[in-house]
Amino acid sequence: MIELILFWTGACLFIVGGVFDLLAAIGMIRFPNFYVRLHAATIGAIYGAVVPLIGISLMALGSPDIPSRYAVAGASLVTALILLVVSPVGSHVLAYAAHKSRSVPWSPVVDALEEDEEK
Amino acid sequence: MKRVIVLVVLVLIAVVSSVITPLVISIEVPRYLKDLSRYYIINTIKDTASPEAVAAIVWDYRGLDTVYETLVLYLAIVGGLTIFMYTGELARKTPVGLTLLSRTATKIITVLISTVSAAIAFHGHLTPGGGFPGGSALAVATMLIIPVFSINTLLEKGVTSTKLVAIRGVSLTGLGLVALLPVIRGLEIVTNQRFYPGYLDGFILSGSISLYNLLEFLAVASGFTAVALYLSIPEEYYKGGDNA
Repeated sequence: MIELILFWTGACLFIVGGVFDLLAAIGMIRFPNFYVRLHAATIGAIYGAVVPLIGISLMALGSPDIPSRYAVAGASLVTALILLVVSPVGSHVLAYAAHKSRSVPWSPVVDALEEDEEK
Repeated sequence: MKRVIVLVVLVLIAVVSSVITPLVISIEVPRYLKDLSRYYIINTIKDTASPEAVAAIVWDYRGLDTVYETLVLYLAIVGGLTIFMYTGELARKTPVGLTLLSRTATKIITVLISTVSAAIAFHGHLTPGGGFPGGSALAVATMLIIPVFSINTLLEKGVTSTKLVAIRGVSLTGLGLVALLPVIRGLEIVTNQRFYPGYLDGFILSGSISLYNLLEFLAVASGFTAVALYLSIPEEYYKGGDNA
């Protein structure tokens, strides 16, 4: 019973990840400038990769008939955690570099980083 | 409009090729093993004490080829270092890194990368991996430190290309010695099981395979790191002659 619950929870997370990937792809095309597109890309990385990886981990735990299921579950969980640390930092560095080099034309309503640097 | 046409063409190519490929190329599972693969599968563990057939072929059956290949890579890196050689003293500047957030994350990631690279290299005789992939993975950690913390941080910590080239030289000498030592007892060069122990107290050592992996790991990591250091020296240093 518990294995069934684990498997189907994992499958739901997997499908949620797919939906978020689609949304992120639409956002990449539709959003107006670099910074907002970066938001869409990060959604693709977190909800579209970390959540499905946790899903895979649960699905592996819930499938007793596949060999070395604990290895699969552990590896995907660790990969999910590493992605959770790395991908926001990647977006942060990209945004920081774009702001520093002023290579993105935009007209912000509020630019707190600019205000901080002027002080 | 142009983008839509490109998209339609790409989708059409994908659909058509996925329909045509199975019709033209018949993909079949081979029904029998070739004699050579049968030999490797049956005899690898007996000949080399290594359960990993690829490592066994690379460092034992075809060990001489790999030793020479390592030599070729060594010469290539030495050539690259000669071109980028900078004899003057680098002006030490205070390191200006990226933001606190990225520096903290890089610290965590660097520890993880080092651990994984060591696991890849030291389990090279048991699982897929080995010295070369492990060393390349370790070099990635340095390549991550250079843009995030700045090259001056590495230089302040004492990571200079001279030291790295020295480590590389020592480990390659060790690699050559491991290959040559069996000759003393009248065996062929790059002999494994008849000279080196395959098992130690229940652990699988696979004789010289694990030694080669360890030394290759050090050599590749230090070599690639030295190249990364040289490539991050600003262009002005070479143009001006003295520190511009």
